[in-house]
Amino acid sequence: MRSFKDRSSNFKWVLVSTVTLGILTLIIATVLFRFYSGFNTDTVPKEFYDKYFVLITEDYRSSFWQSVYKGALKEAVNNNAYIELFGSNLSNDYSKEELMEIAINAGVDGIVLQADETDEILRLIKEAGNAKIPVVTIYGDASKSDRISFVGVGSYNIGKEYGNKVLKLASQAAKGKLDGKVKLTVLLNSHSEDPGQNIICAGIQETIAGGGKDNIETTLESIDNTSAFSVEESIRDLLIREDAPDIIVCLNEQNTVCVYQAVVDYNLVGKVNILGYYDSDVILQGIKRNVIASSISIDTDQMGKSCVDALTEYIENGYANQYFTADVTSVDASNVDEYIERELKYEE
Amino acid sequence: MKNKIRSLSVKAKISCIYIITNAFILLVNMVLLIGINRMSTNLEQVYTENLRLNELSDHLSTVQDNMTEYLTSKTSDSLGEYYVSAQKLSNDINDINGRITNVSSDRMLRNIKELSENYLELVDQTIEAKRGRNVEKYRVRYDRSTKLYKFTDQYIYSLNNEQFKTNSARYVELITEYKRFEKISIIVIVTVILLNILLIIKLSGNIIRPLSKLAEQANVIANGNFDIELMQPSSMDEIGIVTKAFNQMVESIREYIEKIRVGMETERELKEKELLMETHLKDAQLKYLQAQINPHFMFNTLNAGAQLSMLEGDDKTYDYLQNVAEFFRYTVKKGNDNVTIKDEIELVNHYIYILNVRFSGEIKYTETIDEDLLNVMMPGMILQPIVENSVNHGIREMAGRGRIDLSIYRMDDLACISIKDNGVGMTRETIKSILDGTYEDIDIKSDSNGIGMDNVIARLKLFTGSEDVMSIISEGKNMGTEVIVYLPVKEEV
Repeated sequence: MRSFKDRSSNFKWVLVSTVTLGILTLIIATVLFRFYSGFNTDTVPKEFYDKYFVLITEDYRSSFWQSVYKGALKEAVNNNAYIELFGSNLSNDYSKEELMEIAINAGVDGIVLQADETDEILRLIKEAGNAKIPVVTIYGDASKSDRISFVGVGSYNIGKEYGNKVLKLASQAAKGKLDGKVKLTVLLNSHSEDPGQNIICAGIQETIAGGGKDNIETTLESIDNTSAFSVEESIRDLLIREDAPDIIVCLNEQNTVCVYQAVVDYNLVGKVNILGYYDSDVILQGIKRNVIASSISIDTDQMGKSCVDALTEYIENGYANQYFTADVTSVDASNVDEYIERELKYEE
Repeated sequence: MKNKIRSLSVKAKISCIYIITNAFILLVNMVLLIGINRMSTNLEQVYTENLRLNELSDHLSTVQDNMTEYLTSKTSDSLGEYYVSAQKLSNDINDINGRITNVSSDRMLRNIKELSENYLELVDQTIEAKRGRNVEKYRVRYDRSTKLYKFTDQYIYSLNNEQFKTNSARYVELITEYKRFEKISIIVIVTVILLNILLIIKLSGNIIRPLSKLAEQANVIANGNFDIELMQPSSMDEIGIVTKAFNQMVESIREYIEKIRVGMETERELKEKELLMETHLKDAQLKYLQAQINPHFMFNTLNAGAQLSMLEGDDKTYDYLQNVAEFFRYTVKKGNDNVTIKDEIELVNHYIYILNVRFSGEIKYTETIDEDLLNVMMPGMILQPIVENSVNHGIREMAGRGRIDLSIYRMDDLACISIKDNGVGMTRETIKSILDGTYEDIDIKSDSNGIGMDNVIARLKLFTGSEDVMSIISEGKNMGTEVIVYLPVKEEV
């Protein structure tokens, strides 16, 4: 028989060890659970900002405006402000006028607006002013308004660039022609009261005129951009005509892409030269495939930065530069690879 | 502490185990419950924001409706309702904490707050204009209010949507978490239950094992083995007490048995002594008796007497003394041998002769003998004692009317010797007791040759090897007695 002491301590030992084991199980289970569940560790750390700016454009989805926005946001964050691409998180699609109204009523601290010379825009900018909200116009100006600054793209210079490119292409194009005449069409948006367009056209024409070539026939084609899909339809109509142009100049991203696609579809590659606008992935690819002859690249980063600079300057000092111009470069087959690489890096 | 555990009663121990295991499970349950609570709170939080926004949207549309109602009908009821709903909306707005952060929903919330505030102000102005009957103003303001209402509502809707997406993702996460939690809970509970079971089995085993050991020991003792090793009590609880009592009982039983054994030993010794004494006594008696009768001396004495009577010419005395000498010679010589029926009859004759001399011919004696059976063997000293019995008990007081008839006949392969008297007879009980051997003959020392019926019957049984050696028949009192001896027909070789 076990001794007396052994028996009683056996009882105690069993009791204590079992209870300890049980509590250990609980603890281990809890720890395991915490460890594997990853309690709330995946939320992004919140940052708080002082100022609230908005960027209002006609088409926030376009990659042009997306990259402008990226540049603007970078600059804003450095100045303890947050800028929002207005309308991007709303489930409805609002016009820029409606977005403007919402922004004013939401009491934002600053508006960057792709303006135009309409009365409506004028009125809205005035309303913003009444609500003590500074407005910076970008890309399209409302020159008669009280906007504090305009960030533009140097339309005349763009025109010059185009002009030079046209001259280069013209000699090529003329070779295959009986009468040696080169048909140039410049696509204009019919409903954009954008003085920029006109300035570009002027730039083109003056440059061509100065180029000493007189076999170039210039047409200004008006594209209906009232409804969402009419642009694409108008362009197709243009290209299936017998007298399709030899050189087409597009003054915005959407037109460029439409023309590019249409040319490919109607097998007009080589016959129709495209001078595009902006350097989105699609357009760069187009250049690489030699469908698009060249495209204008705007330093969107700089544009975004300039907007925010204008606003912060105004808020701090009560005034700002009246005018900012964005740098413009030409992308063609010679430097397209660089741009593609840069895009890739940027994505990262 | 150890002492305390030793002296805990069984009830306390079992209660202890029960309480501890239950407390254990309770603890586990509480922990799990807390976990579940936290999870469901998380889940709840996921959707509270949505609920809040929905409420805001409702109040917003109520205000819009009320305003429209008031502008349409201008009743004081609708005005009252407007004030109520406006207050509600105002409260909702105040609860919103919109900050400018890098999180989209925060900014949207901020915007909604601003928009709602402006809207409310605008509505107020509209109502004011209506009350002031400024038609132009209130129409314009109404349009603006409605437009702002639509914007605000849409904004809320958009935020709801966005949050719904993130919430759904979060919800899925939480559900996965919950499932994992469930699995772990089950494992924990099962483990704890197993541990509890183990605990209970072990501990109650500890308590109860002494009992089963005791039962085993009791069985062993019940089978007669008192020499088992006694179990030491391992605790001071009820079971320990029982063990101690049991041990004491076993000890007592051992002592008692010892006492009895000793007692019985002593008694046996005493009895032995007594018997020894009796034997010695009988021995002495025997020797004394034997010393008294030297058979040769008796013969010679009797013969001398016979000679003397012959010399004196006394024939009767001579015959008598011869008979006596013959009788005694026979008894001494043939007492232990087996003899023939003829020899026995001779003795009976001698005996009757002697008796008749003593009692003056009172005893009438007849013989009816089958001559063929005379050579059948039988043990000696059988017939004479029987006849003696008849004389002493049967016909003694009959004063001349007594008679004894001896007949020897054959029945199948048995030789039957019948001795019949017409004396007092025997009761059935007496017959039975004689045949049993339980009859106590009180006159054993008086007028007889010392050989009792039990001796006769015993020797007959020994000789024949069977139990049916004698039957005694008596009709009753004074009806006489017949004793029949059965012998197998075995002739002298």
